Amino acid sequence: MNVNVQFREEENILYGMIEGEIDTFTAPALREELEAITIKEKATVELDLSKVTFMDSTGLGVIIAFYKKVLRENANLKLVHLSARLTRLFEITGLSELMDIESTKKVEPANECI
Amino acid sequence: MKELKVQYEKVLLQYLLNQNESNLYIGQNLVRQLMKNNVSPEDLVSIHKQSLENILPDLPETVSISFDFLIEVMIHFGLKIKEHQSLIMRQEEMRIEMEIASKIQNLLLETKIPKPSGLDIGMVSVPVRKMNGDYVHFMHDDGNFFSVAVTDVVGKGVPAALCMSMVKYGLDTLEYANNNPSYVLEVLNRIIEKSVDDSMFVSMFYGRYDLENDIFTFGSAGHEPAFFFNSAEQTFIDLDSKGLLLGVLPEMKYSQNDIHLSENDFIILITDGVTEFKKMANFNSRSYIKELAKSIRHLSAQEMCNKIFEDLNNLQDFSLEDDFTVVIIKKY
Amino acid sequence: MRNHPTVKIVTELDIVAARQLCRNVAKEVGFGVVDQARIATATSELAKNIFLYATTGEILVEKIENEDKKGIAIIAIDYGPGIENPHKLLEEGYPNKCGESEGLLGVKRLMDSIQIHSELGKGTVIRIEKWVK
Repeated sequence: MNVNVQFREEENILYGMIEGEIDTFTAPALREELEAITIKEKATVELDLSKVTFMDSTGLGVIIAFYKKVLRENANLKLVHLSARLTRLFEITGLSELMDIESTKKVEPANECI
Repeated sequence: MKELKVQYEKVLLQYLLNQNESNLYIGQNLVRQLMKNNVSPEDLVSIHKQSLENILPDLPETVSISFDFLIEVMIHFGLKIKEHQSLIMRQEEMRIEMEIASKIQNLLLETKIPKPSGLDIGMVSVPVRKMNGDYVHFMHDDGNFFSVAVTDVVGKGVPAALCMSMVKYGLDTLEYANNNPSYVLEVLNRIIEKSVDDSMFVSMFYGRYDLENDIFTFGSAGHEPAFFFNSAEQTFIDLDSKGLLLGVLPEMKYSQNDIHLSENDFIILITDGVTEFKKMANFNSRSYIKELAKSIRHLSAQEMCNKIFEDLNNLQDFSLEDDFTVVIIKKY
Repeated sequence: MRNHPTVKIVTELDIVAARQLCRNVAKEVGFGVVDQARIATATSELAKNIFLYATTGEILVEKIENEDKKGIAIIAIDYGPGIENPHKLLEEGYPNKCGESEGLLGVKRLMDSIQIHSELGKGTVIRIEKWVK
């Protein structure tokens, strides 16, 4: 199983699309990819999770680390298109109180890396 | 290098004249010198080819060419072997780390189930791999209180094991089982937030049982809600309490709630490994567990835990994907 | 750079053409048979990466020289997805997560030096060099 993230920038909004399963095995790779992203100060980062088929607590850790990174840049993180299962995960963990979680426009995946 | 070539040719010639064991042995001893001089396998093939051409001037050209082919293949073969080796090395490193982590855990984090009067307590905690990401901490100081913490540490290996011991010593340092759950969670959150890296956090369900009045006070830090079974009404209530995971933000506040237990009531505390089934996305595991627990409520707390584990493990074809912990507290 | 012999990598056959080109140049420069094979193998790895992960790109080859020695430089350019932290790929023991990094460490071992420049979404340039001993 694999996870893959693609970013594109448009007028100070950084759109990210995560695809696949985020579990113990794929989380380290995703974490590195998210760590490598440069976030401009006060930018808005929008992560589309509609194509995330599974996320366990390790995956949640990756999202939290990314959230903290975004906070440090005074930027804003938004999570969009969460499945019912993911929504429940964010609710139980109290993260939905903290993060901006909503359904807005969809992000098209850019070219794919195998 | 030149010297080596001369030596190789000499040894090869000896062997071509006389295929005995002693000449083979001399050839083997040459390997040490080849290694010392950083001669790669493809270099050796090339040396062999040249030596053979010197020894046999009439060597058919196809034989010569075949060595060129072997050189090419050797280079690529060497490349792939190195890649494979580095993969194995990394796996070995990970295995060692897990071993250390599980040693830390066995050494420092043993859970003993207390036996407070009036309560029957059972527990099953099964790791998927060597190291368990779940941890249960009980405290019963012979007074009127008994406390229980069920935690799920995210992250793996040594960092997770260290984080878990931090939780344990945090809880031990708070010392009294009669502390308010909201207070305990606030203190632990502060400790963890200061000490661990950004992607590590802990979910915790913390409960305090007042043995005199049979009141269970609980708070949750991003943890899977517990179940409360009301025996008189034969119904379940989710023990849900909103609160953020420990270690995400400093200075968080946690709320707490009370419930009263009567005879034959019980509480089931779980980790998300009990409810999250990767392969069964639409399966309502919480109602399943409720039905199951209700049907076996006549058993002891430990027997109930065992049965729940057996049943859910069976349901997932005996291939758990996450650490599995269930604690049952029964009032009798 | 446009004056240097170039092979465009579009199909798998082009990988063979790139190997052939670099081997010929290596021979002209004066490399021995084994080093020629190493250079061809390194070229092959770079070309294969382009073919598999970037879909299109090109391989350039250049004869290089300094006061006392001669050498060869091979440059692989692609317009693919790019690599994050390209330098990390060259560290021993760094976990390869995307197939793109596979082989780069090996390429490094076959040659004397390797440089990577990559930009996400834009592409990657890899330059490898080897000197006649």
